[in-house]
Amino acid sequence: MTIIFLLIGLSLLVALTFLAAFLWAVRSGQYDDAYTPSVRMLFDDEAPTAPAAPVRRR
Amino acid sequence: MAPAQRRPELCGPTPLCPPVPVLLESPATDLACAHCGDACPAEPLRLAELPFCCAGCRTVYELLSASQLCTYYALGEQPGLKIKAVELPGRFDYLASEAVQAQLLSFRSAERGRLTLHVPQMHCTSCIWLLEHLPRLHAGVVEARVQFLRKEITITYLLADISLPEVVQLLASVGYEPQITLAELGAQPHRASHTLYYQLGLAAFAFGNVMLLALPEYFSFVEELQAGFGRFFGYLSLALALPVLLYSARGFFRSAGQGLRQRHINLDFPISLGLASLFSVSTFEVLTGRGPGYFDSFTGLVFFMLIGKWVQQRTYDALRFDRDYTAYFPVAVTRLTPAGEQSISVQELAVGHRIRVRHQEVIPADAVLLRGAGQIDYSFVSGESTPVARAAGDLVYAGGRQLGGALELEVVRGVSQGYLTQLWNNPAFTKDAAGPTLETYANHAGRYFVALTLLLAAGTLAYWGPRDQATMWRAFTSVLVIACPCALSLATPFALGAALRVLGRHKLYLKNAAVVETLARTDTLVFDKTGTLTDPTQSAVQYHGRPLLLVEKQLIATAAAQSTHPLSQRLARELATEALPLATCQEYPGRGLHATAASGQALRLGSAVFVGTPAGPPAQPADRLSLRASERLPLLSARVPVPGNLLLLSAQTATSPALQSATTTGRPASAGGPVLAPETSVYVALDGEPAGHFTFCNVYRPALPAVLAALGKRYRLAVLSGDTDAERLRLRALLGPAAELRFGQSPADKLAYVAAERALGHTVVMVGDGLNDAGALRAADAGIALTDTLTNFSPACDAILEAGELGRLATFLGFSRACLRAVLATFALSLCYNAVGLTLAVQGHFTPIASAILMPLSSLSVMVMATLLVRWAARHYHL
Repeated sequence: MTIIFLLIGLSLLVALTFLAAFLWAVRSGQYDDAYTPSVRMLFDDEAPTAPAAPVRRR
Repeated sequence: MAPAQRRPELCGPTPLCPPVPVLLESPATDLACAHCGDACPAEPLRLAELPFCCAGCRTVYELLSASQLCTYYALGEQPGLKIKAVELPGRFDYLASEAVQAQLLSFRSAERGRLTLHVPQMHCTSCIWLLEHLPRLHAGVVEARVQFLRKEITITYLLADISLPEVVQLLASVGYEPQITLAELGAQPHRASHTLYYQLGLAAFAFGNVMLLALPEYFSFVEELQAGFGRFFGYLSLALALPVLLYSARGFFRSAGQGLRQRHINLDFPISLGLASLFSVSTFEVLTGRGPGYFDSFTGLVFFMLIGKWVQQRTYDALRFDRDYTAYFPVAVTRLTPAGEQSISVQELAVGHRIRVRHQEVIPADAVLLRGAGQIDYSFVSGESTPVARAAGDLVYAGGRQLGGALELEVVRGVSQGYLTQLWNNPAFTKDAAGPTLETYANHAGRYFVALTLLLAAGTLAYWGPRDQATMWRAFTSVLVIACPCALSLATPFALGAALRVLGRHKLYLKNAAVVETLARTDTLVFDKTGTLTDPTQSAVQYHGRPLLLVEKQLIATAAAQSTHPLSQRLARELATEALPLATCQEYPGRGLHATAASGQALRLGSAVFVGTPAGPPAQPADRLSLRASERLPLLSARVPVPGNLLLLSAQTATSPALQSATTTGRPASAGGPVLAPETSVYVALDGEPAGHFTFCNVYRPALPAVLAALGKRYRLAVLSGDTDAERLRLRALLGPAAELRFGQSPADKLAYVAAERALGHTVVMVGDGLNDAGALRAADAGIALTDTLTNFSPACDAILEAGELGRLATFLGFSRACLRAVLATFALSLCYNAVGLTLAVQGHFTPIASAILMPLSSLSVMVMATLLVRWAARHYHL
């Protein structure tokens, strides 16, 4: 059962990697603006078009 | 998590108020402008079959379509912003100055510069898209990144290809003129605090791993495992929990310590007590080999409570609740030197400098008027609704906005020494800066909690002491552990945090969750008049006289558009037609203007005397009265020598007693049609023949009668106005007989009134909009600042309400009361958990496994219940 020591050590190592990744993400400002990127990723680079027809006012 | 409260709705300009019925014969068509979505005039401007309401909108459209940026119009519903009519060349010249650039640019190398600008106009997906595609409009812009929640744009540009004034001009040309003020120049771009994220991450990491290590403890079949590894797991858990105690939980201990120093027990005190005893008991157990301790509960508690803190902390970065006059003052000013005009930063301005202030510019310092007709709008600083006329030789106070022609002034006092800024620096205005510790329900409950816990702990000692030493210690520490009011501390942030987001969706932005509680407890509402009860963006234009032909209307609109006088501008906007070629057009400052159309038709537009209108048509009493008033006071840029008191400057208000008598003779206040405030008129003569006149009236916000009636039932109401008491009867009818009405109030008077009400034990909410209300907003328990998109400025306050939503104030207050009830209900639930825990604890049965079940169960159920109750309340109030 001494293998448990090794396994726990490894699992802690993995968890620490995730913690480090999280700290890096915070540090690099990824949590500063949680909204704009969610909109930005939806923009297409399609060919721009003009609005088709005059819009009726509601 | 996308903060739902700031999600830009599908845009399309929602007019702040329904348009006021206008008695002109050219009804607006139902065609929407292809750029801004406003109604087009009968003869819309056209470009490629698309209708436009004005030349400004068409220009922006042309610019965007030329750069293949029409996706802008496809993303949102009519995202375009109307371009302001008046644009002065060289408006941004001051940005070329080295001193200003040094303050604005965050990065600068030999070839590129970077800066962050505040663009309050951005409101939807299209805005983000267009602003991030700036490089397509100008090759000199390398990159543009938007921070939507803060409404900021960071632009990197090539110094060789584009200058800073050109960058700002580019933004302005598509309708997104950045806001650059004195405050922006002084402050560094704010950096978000990451501490809470670090603490939360660490706590989550420790919680997860300690729970894993503690798991064998809870199942008997792994006893064998536990026997062999128990000590190892215990030490490992201790090692994992230590950083949580030292770093993640630091905030609770610090807050409790601060409270103690102020001889005040807040909710963080029992929390710290609980955490400390939890940690020390667990450490003792592990080190002496008695058991695994409560480390999983400990890390879990810290983790859940940090989530509560995080929910509470997420407020509105974009809105600044702590603005002072510097945010309103301009950055640069045109100085007149013997060498010519020079754009300098306001901070460099010194006594004796000669400056030029143009139309729509704010006067930066107290100064003597040397040349030009001063027509100064002090509505923002003093609350007066009508511009004040000033002649050469008069003293002009800082903070007013010049309307009309350019002025030449000589500065007599430095920027920070001005009359208004002095007032601002008055200790009375800053006395609340430190602020008394907020007496929230949670803190109140916390105090009783501590007393009860200590009593119980002592009782446990006394009971078990003579019977069983071992059980005595276990029971004693268990009581202290269970006393940690974790669930209690979660109720408030989750309930009020949810309330904050609901209110934010409806455009009432609160500074923090505690404001919800203050709103719920309030019993007195104090309103400002100008800009708060009246709508500064609307003035009803009515035409009285013989019907005008289309050509004549075009002539009037075209001629009026030539003048910078506010009434002319308003008229031009109202008539908004195709421009007519003019043969001549001359303005006579202070009197009116004279124009001749290419067809030879002559127009005189202005005061009654200038136009040559005899005694008015005796059609209606209202007409006659306003006419008489206008004769007495020439309308356009009247030069009236006025005494130096800011609050006695009202020169052009002509009250129409007809309206007041209409109220007193029984017309209900809530009757349809716009509620009109005092009015001013502009006369028209065509070919020497008097044709009629246009009247302009201030308009009370349309929803006002209903909301005031609803509020009057529950709250004590008061109106403090910097204006004259011309409106007394009208307001009395709106607010009811019990309301307090005070007129001619200086900012200090307002502050004193609010402070006096508070001293009497009332909880006061102040609703205001201008700098003149700032003192009262600060002094009140909660200050709500109203903003129109027009002013884009709000003084320091606790909450910002978009002006169009004023009509729902009663609903908002009712909702906050419901939220407070939700908090109390959740308190009751969490106290039930504590009671169960304490029952176990005093008997000595509070084991690690009981703790491991009770703790997350109580935390999670409190979070869920708080959120659900607030949601339910929101549905009940249709929010």
